[in-house]
Amino acid sequence: MTVTDRTITAPEETLALPAGPAIAHRPLGVFTRPQGSEGWRSWLFTVDHKRIGIMYGAAALFFFLVGGAEALFIRLQLATPNGSVIGAGTYNGVFTMHGVTMVFLVIMPMAAAFANYLLPLQVGARDVAFPRLNAFSFWCFLAGGLLLTSSILVGGWFQNAPDGGWFAYAPNTGLLFSPSKGIDFYAVGLQILGIASLVSAINLIVTVLNMRTPGMSFFRMPVLTWMLLITQFLLLFALPVITVALFLLMFDRLWDANFFNVEAGADPLLWQHLFWIFGHPEVYILILPAFGIVSEIIPTFSRKPLFGYHFMVASGIAIGFMGWGVWAHHMFTSGVGPLSVAAFSVSTMFIAVPTGVKILNWLATMYRGRLRFTTPMLYAVGVVSMFTIGGLSGVTHAIAPSDTQQTDTYYIVAHFHYVIFGGALLGLFGGFYYWWPKAFGYKLSEAWGKASFWVMLIGFNFTFGPMHILGLQGMSRRIATYRADEGFALWNMVATIGAFVIAIGVAMFFWNVYASTRNWRRAGRPDVGPDPWDARGLEWMTASPVPEHNFDEDIQVDRLDHFWHRKYGKDESGRVVRAAPTSEIAHDGSNTNVHLPSPSYWPIVLGGGILLVGYGLIYNLWLAAAGLVFLIGAIYGWILEPADDPDAAGHHDDHHDDDDGDDHGDPDSNGGPSGNGESASADEPAETEEATVG
Amino acid sequence: MSGRARGLVWLSSLLVIAGTIALIVVAIVVDKDHPLSTLSPVGRQGRDIAELINPIFIVAGVVFFLVQGAVLALWWRYRVSGSETGDGEYGYYDDDEFPEQTHGNNRLEIAWTIVPTVLLAVISVFTLVALFALDDVKASDEDITVTVIGQQWWWEYQYHLDGDTDTPPDFVTANELVIPVGVDVALDIKSRDVIHSFWIPKLNGKRDAVPGRSHDWVIQSEEPGRFRGQCTEFCGLSHGYMKMVAVALPTAEFAQWRDNQMTPAEAPVEGTPAGEGWATFSQQCASCHVVNGLTSAANRGGAAGSPPDDWDIYGEHNGGSAGPVLTTELVAGAAPNLTHLMTRGTFAGSAFDLYLNAGDHIPYLELADSGTLNRGELEAWIYNAPERKPADANDLRGMPARTGLSPTDIDNVVAFLSTLD
Repeated sequence: MTVTDRTITAPEETLALPAGPAIAHRPLGVFTRPQGSEGWRSWLFTVDHKRIGIMYGAAALFFFLVGGAEALFIRLQLATPNGSVIGAGTYNGVFTMHGVTMVFLVIMPMAAAFANYLLPLQVGARDVAFPRLNAFSFWCFLAGGLLLTSSILVGGWFQNAPDGGWFAYAPNTGLLFSPSKGIDFYAVGLQILGIASLVSAINLIVTVLNMRTPGMSFFRMPVLTWMLLITQFLLLFALPVITVALFLLMFDRLWDANFFNVEAGADPLLWQHLFWIFGHPEVYILILPAFGIVSEIIPTFSRKPLFGYHFMVASGIAIGFMGWGVWAHHMFTSGVGPLSVAAFSVSTMFIAVPTGVKILNWLATMYRGRLRFTTPMLYAVGVVSMFTIGGLSGVTHAIAPSDTQQTDTYYIVAHFHYVIFGGALLGLFGGFYYWWPKAFGYKLSEAWGKASFWVMLIGFNFTFGPMHILGLQGMSRRIATYRADEGFALWNMVATIGAFVIAIGVAMFFWNVYASTRNWRRAGRPDVGPDPWDARGLEWMTASPVPEHNFDEDIQVDRLDHFWHRKYGKDESGRVVRAAPTSEIAHDGSNTNVHLPSPSYWPIVLGGGILLVGYGLIYNLWLAAAGLVFLIGAIYGWILEPADDPDAAGHHDDHHDDDDGDDHGDPDSNGGPSGNGESASADEPAETEEATVG
Repeated sequence: MSGRARGLVWLSSLLVIAGTIALIVVAIVVDKDHPLSTLSPVGRQGRDIAELINPIFIVAGVVFFLVQGAVLALWWRYRVSGSETGDGEYGYYDDDEFPEQTHGNNRLEIAWTIVPTVLLAVISVFTLVALFALDDVKASDEDITVTVIGQQWWWEYQYHLDGDTDTPPDFVTANELVIPVGVDVALDIKSRDVIHSFWIPKLNGKRDAVPGRSHDWVIQSEEPGRFRGQCTEFCGLSHGYMKMVAVALPTAEFAQWRDNQMTPAEAPVEGTPAGEGWATFSQQCASCHVVNGLTSAANRGGAAGSPPDDWDIYGEHNGGSAGPVLTTELVAGAAPNLTHLMTRGTFAGSAFDLYLNAGDHIPYLELADSGTLNRGELEAWIYNAPERKPADANDLRGMPARTGLSPTDIDNVVAFLSTLD
């Protein structure tokens, strides 16, 4: 109504006003937008969901190497009885950091990589709902990850690493029992990571709810989108709980609060409840994205639609809900009382039902399919097979009486590695192989991929399979060593050898990335095409690598697997036949007329401010105060930043240039390190490789 | 990949699977020399748990083979090799290469929702019955109750022969829990500092020792024997070295052991090595270790005659500043009661054997007489305990080093300890 009134009273002037003067007002020179979309600087300021996704993936792979090295130290220490490779103190830091790293800095950001890259593409959107917040999520995650990881080094090798286990049970994490800075790094680092995940969760939820392309109703969304959406809801509700717990812990340690001080009347079970109310949904936060990835890969390489789409979605939702009602199964021996134990024992058993539905639907999808065992398919079927083992052992310790024998033994270690490595990580690696051509424009080598898969799978089973036996033979978790006469030597040695086989498999993956990139460049960077696997989702309906603006035009979706049904139809006799060539349906990225959000300095500055506050809380509150000033400044910069920079000639204004190459008039765009002597169109993939390998 | 290579992959993976299964079967069937094994329980509760879980292991095994078999069968039956078109790589299908496009089957979906639900419902009934039966820990048919107190990094046992845990215990011992065969012994599990977990795998499942809380548990053995245990809740630096032993003795032997434990120690003759050792012990060790009949509250830093229960476990070390957690009555002091040290087979949180020829070869009650003392380990422990078993660097927890003692002093202390039988 008001708009109409204003239009009537002051027609021309009011309508013309918004852009010009408001942007011309730039308090301090820095409040312009950064320019250019090439060169390493553009990665720092990017708000493009695809680049942010790639950075999440690269960071996760870096932390994967850190966490993997920690795992190898654990296995070296335990390879023989009375191990003395690392001392008990270092060992406690190493196993704590291994767990924290793998959960918070590897699996979660790897899933975030896929969520950031694929969610907008799968729902046909141009970007996420809040692109600058998305960039902030990444930099905040990186700040938290670096802060946590730096604890390994500051003040000496593992002198200040968290040493209370990833579960950090009170009161062992109190200042009296853990006097180093380790638990402070844990409490502060995880709170920072929590901010990152929370912001990202809200962003992605809004993206899925509000930015779906016309016709993309909820039950036309791919299963991956569904699983990622459920994951974001779990994050949204679970993270506040752990944040409260960490906040209380931080107050206990830094300012002598008494939340977990038993002498002052605290009950240590408070921490356990808070931690596991977060911690169990966290398990599904780790696994659901991989379930989504598997649900994308298996149909493609079975040449069939996913069996029971609605049941797959519903079982994911069921897992999401039931995941909230099982937390105390981590506390069967804690003394929560027989009635609680009975209730949580039964609820835990029944969470196997929706999980079983997923497994059976994947098998039914493969039934009578034309199965091509490409590398992604190997990983996906590997998940089906390995996760089943983890699920079955899970049922055996849902039986509370038998859990009193199994809990805190290597049987549990075996179980959750079959779930998290055999389920989540294998699925995510399958996703790397599957969407690599989409993100970078070339496939990873199939030969290396398959070899690396088999090495990893065999190593995995030799590492974690024997741990079932060790656990039932009575080997406890988190013990720095064991006596020679306890009979654990054989299987520990096998597990250690297996761990190094896994390491070889992982090294083969990294070699594959390097070699495939090199071969692709030597071959003159051939175009892999928009749809290299003949797949189903909208992400395959645009060029590879995906242009900055994603799609040339909005897609009108009319059914599930819209892209597939554009490619294939049925003839009179009901046979499936090609309806149109992929090249005619897929967008080629040539539309330069798509409005895109401009890059911004402030997300990374804000992330840096949070990093300063983090170190300040641990070491010196004056530093925290400085960080706070920095942080508030960044928030003001963020708010005052103009919507678009008028100085960026033709580059980041409303009509965005998609860097297609030929008509690069802008001198800024040639600043990239790999820009010389190569065609401009090749620049972007070149940078993405560097980011990934680094 | 060529057909030959593919065959090799198949063959090798089948060999791997078959080999793994064979190894697992061998490992489980030949469950010897695994003193902590849950697979060969001796206690009533342990057997009840095994009886509950073993059929479920079998059900899980059947499901395992069904699913893995289905994966392999589908793989074998429906795999196709690379397409002729495209660039010959896998993943390229011909345009007319389509199986039947099935989208789902509601009956199947409902079936494989209901069947596991029913199966799990049956399992849950058995589980709940067993759960409440096992939790009925007041079923003890003797009055004896043992207050089990975990602390970094050893276990204290306070025996209440009349079952009344509100009165002072009849005697206190450490690390080796001795029980009569065939009797349900009630345990009252507590902690002095952080969370620990009491676990003798061959007898019963574990139960956490949580500061500020008291947890009822029960333990029983059908046969005489020595059964190893391990603290199973991560409790800080030396968690891995916090072990324990449960010893089940026939009723008559238990009575003999019990009567001996209630006897105070006698002062060694002055001038003998043991006498010299007692002099050193009373200066260097008695501020923490209690020897009934010899040490006094004065040794432990409190006023003579003051009740031991308001003595701060770490008071001496942390200068009386904000005290640590102290939630159960302290009878032994901050360290194991050593009155009958030589009757135990292990020391230092059962991390080390006290006798070289210990174990199952000597009847438990004859250890002190027939055992060959593990002198080297004991001396090393007295001289520099944190080197043998990690302790906190600032000496707040664990036995501090006594590197000021000369070899003669240590010989004398060992001579004194040897009289504590």
